[in-house]
Amino acid sequence: MEILGLLGLSGAFGLIGLVLAGWMAWRIVEKTGLPGWAGLGAVLLTLTGVGMIVPVILLWIFAFMRWPRDEMAGAPAGASSPGRPVSPAALPPPPAALADRRAWRLSGLSAAGPVALSMDGALPAYVLTSAAAQQANELSVPDPTVGQPHARLFVSGGRLGLEDLGTPGGTRIDGARLLPEHGPRDISAARVIHVGTVELALSRA
Amino acid sequence: MDPVTWLLGLGSLLVFGVVVVHLLTALVLIIPTWRVFTRAGFSGALSLFHLVPLIGLFIVMAVLAFSDWPNGEASPGKR
Repeated sequence: MEILGLLGLSGAFGLIGLVLAGWMAWRIVEKTGLPGWAGLGAVLLTLTGVGMIVPVILLWIFAFMRWPRDEMAGAPAGASSPGRPVSPAALPPPPAALADRRAWRLSGLSAAGPVALSMDGALPAYVLTSAAAQQANELSVPDPTVGQPHARLFVSGGRLGLEDLGTPGGTRIDGARLLPEHGPRDISAARVIHVGTVELALSRA
Repeated sequence: MDPVTWLLGLGSLLVFGVVVVHLLTALVLIIPTWRVFTRAGFSGALSLFHLVPLIGLFIVMAVLAFSDWPNGEASPGKR
């Protein structure tokens, strides 16, 4: 009886693990743009006689195949439906210089109050930080979710560029996450920048 | 040979065999999962959770399933 009870317990754990794994596989596969049932099916294959071999092969195929999500991210702006943010890789590369040479302005509300930053192009690069600005190229956004430093802004040819410096708070361009490995991105056509939880509206002065 | 020494030697060999098999199995899972993590925007090193016995696979799946992918996810309308 004790052995049977133990088997029942391990069976219950196995069932819970299977349901949990199937649910998580469904979610993971959905995030790539593939149908979620494919992930669930791959996990349920472990119940069949093929054991673990086929699911492992499917995992390798899944890791190295082309995901529909990547095709969406590479599609032209406006082609994908609004929803979860796609990669900033979808942003177009910076073309020619702009004729409009007015200063750029970032304005919003941080934990310490209103923030208004101006970049007139007198300097080629600015550092965005939560610390108090001590140099001409430092722009202060006093907020606990903003790093020290947090991001770098570039002004060139009338255009504005942004580079994330890898702080935990993160940086977003119109909702799309900007990572340090993305390098500087042209944000001249962007509307809203998030540094940490601070929302900054981009405009011309 | 002393039976105790013999048993200890056999036990050590078994443990070594189990560890080697575990590492090889984990490696087969770590390589594709490393790529999945990288493509999702996480550090590939998270796939090393496969080295955790029994629950490693669940930790890896939970991270991928219940967190926002930094490199973006397919929009709900496209799913």
